Amino acid sequence: MSASKLRHPAVAAPRAIALVAAIEAAGALFLRQFLLAEDGRLVVALLALFGAALVTMQRRPALEARIEAAFADQARFATGLGLVLVLLFPFVLEKSTYALHLLVIGQLYAVLALALNFQLGSANIPNFATGASYGIGAYASALLALNWDVSFWLALPAAAIVATIFGFLLGVPSMRTRDSYLALVTIAFGVVIHQLLNNLEFTGGPNGLVGIPAPELFGHSFAAPLVILGHDLPSQANFYYLSAVLVGIAILFARRVHDSRVGLAWNALRADELAARCQGINATWYKVLAFAVDAFLAGFAGTIYAFYVGFISPDNFTFLVSVTIMTMVIAGGMDNTLGVIVGAFLLTLLPEKLRAFSDYRILFFGVTVIAFLMIRPQGLFPQRLRRYGA
Amino acid sequence: MRAAVDAPVILEGRGLTMRFGGLVAMAEVDFTLRKGEILGIIGPNGAGKSTLLNIVTGLYRPSSGEVRLEGERINGLPAHRIVAKGIARTFQSSRLFGDLSVLDNVVIGRHVHMRCGLLDAILRRGRAEAELREAARRAAELLEAVSRTLYAQRHRPAAELPQADRRRLEIARALASEPKVLLLDEPSSGMDDADTDALMADIRAIRAARPELALMIIEHDMRLVASLPNRVLVLDYGQKLADGLYEEVRLIPRVQEAYLGRKAAQHARP
Repeated sequence: MSASKLRHPAVAAPRAIALVAAIEAAGALFLRQFLLAEDGRLVVALLALFGAALVTMQRRPALEARIEAAFADQARFATGLGLVLVLLFPFVLEKSTYALHLLVIGQLYAVLALALNFQLGSANIPNFATGASYGIGAYASALLALNWDVSFWLALPAAAIVATIFGFLLGVPSMRTRDSYLALVTIAFGVVIHQLLNNLEFTGGPNGLVGIPAPELFGHSFAAPLVILGHDLPSQANFYYLSAVLVGIAILFARRVHDSRVGLAWNALRADELAARCQGINATWYKVLAFAVDAFLAGFAGTIYAFYVGFISPDNFTFLVSVTIMTMVIAGGMDNTLGVIVGAFLLTLLPEKLRAFSDYRILFFGVTVIAFLMIRPQGLFPQRLRRYGA
Repeated sequence: MRAAVDAPVILEGRGLTMRFGGLVAMAEVDFTLRKGEILGIIGPNGAGKSTLLNIVTGLYRPSSGEVRLEGERINGLPAHRIVAKGIARTFQSSRLFGDLSVLDNVVIGRHVHMRCGLLDAILRRGRAEAELREAARRAAELLEAVSRTLYAQRHRPAAELPQADRRRLEIARALASEPKVLLLDEPSSGMDDADTDALMADIRAIRAARPELALMIIEHDMRLVASLPNRVLVLDYGQKLADGLYEEVRLIPRVQEAYLGRKAAQHARP
């Protein structure tokens, strides 16, 4: 890291605000064009633009540092403007249900990637079972709703707790292994969960669960179009806002944990487990904790998914889902909240937008991981050093 | 600062034996360490010096024997609990948290003095942040006291430090847990004479600021062994050869043999 990156170059307040506003607006505009692009050539052109922006940042660290400083100085403004953009975004999508659907899925994957980031990014625990936790959350909430008429709002925390318990169940035996063996244990766990969902009677077997009722809030059904100030938004907008709230919670979670003793302990374990233990860090406990946090957030995402599509089957939660989530974390940037979210959106949208990718989805993810590990192992947005205000 | 013969014993080992399968890495070793004392541990490669350190810090469980810290039995406790009880260590090959800042390395050293868990971090953010900021302030103070150059580089990733500073940072990180006993595993390995002199000055300064702190130093550099420790413990083939003042210990024929080989030792004898 160069010295210029460490010193926050002074940026005058109005210029910083303008810079932040310009970047956030450009990001939103880019996302809108990307979502609405029909023509494959336009998609490729937009991708090229995105790539060019990244290369520019890589080539000119001073520019990157200036942007970073502007966001750091105007953090409140940046957050506020970001919220406004998220709120207004569905209104500029020309009522495209497809675009909104992609956004919902993208946001759910962003939550899953943030969940996995606690493990893979912060603590370097290769967990291939995030997809399984996602499935456990989805099934737990769907079963509660179908069998006992539990409302979505109660099923949400209940499913997260069930997923967390399973996370602990996975975490405890995993502690007897490490590195590639740990990865194998988590893969096995994911396969076992998939097989159980496929073969158990009460989970509906391979047919899954159907007819999960849409959530309601103050008498408004999430299956109905959303009317705001005379504007009609497709019903997907309900879930867009719901999953946006979940992304917000996940970001808050991620940042608070990162800036605490727990985040530091995870980082220490990632760097050198033996040395971490010799600084008084209970390695077993912190690793199990990472499993639990991952499962907790994944359980939330699973619940929203189940109630959003109304129909779930074991094939929604295969090993490949876990691999996809892992690819998002690696490509986006380990231990960097923004990077992980960008990675999740990019890898959700790309296969949808480019047929060529869609047919070879797995190949595409494989190539992405290899390319990133070779060319830019730190991901699109590398991790930042903590600063403690001073 | 010399002799601490009548200071109370802070750490002691009795009959420490370590077997790995059929291999006996350590056999019936006793040792005592008093408050404010510096104990040097010397011996040829494979003599069991690092094994002893690993037993004391809980990385190994001795096959038999016991370790007591202020009279309390600590062998069998996991390593992280032993740190909380007041024993800190450094490593022979530098084991810093390379991708974290120099300051963060020391903040992690304060782990046992922080309390906030995951729920505090999420639900009581103010408390968790205040605790971390306080730890960072103390860590910065400690860094400044240990070395001005380290302090000036506190926001750099630890992996970018030169060798001598890395060793200093390891010591600072270990001190951050406010230990009663500090174990240094070959602190001068890979250093030239100038760096070793600076290291000895650092250790003296640390001791002057903490007269109660007891140190155990594994060392090969005889210059350091001759001048720093109050006492030396000589190990060979996992057994204790001698224990006493350096000037006396080095005259013992078996010690000379262990170090120089039988023939050379006979030759060296007056």
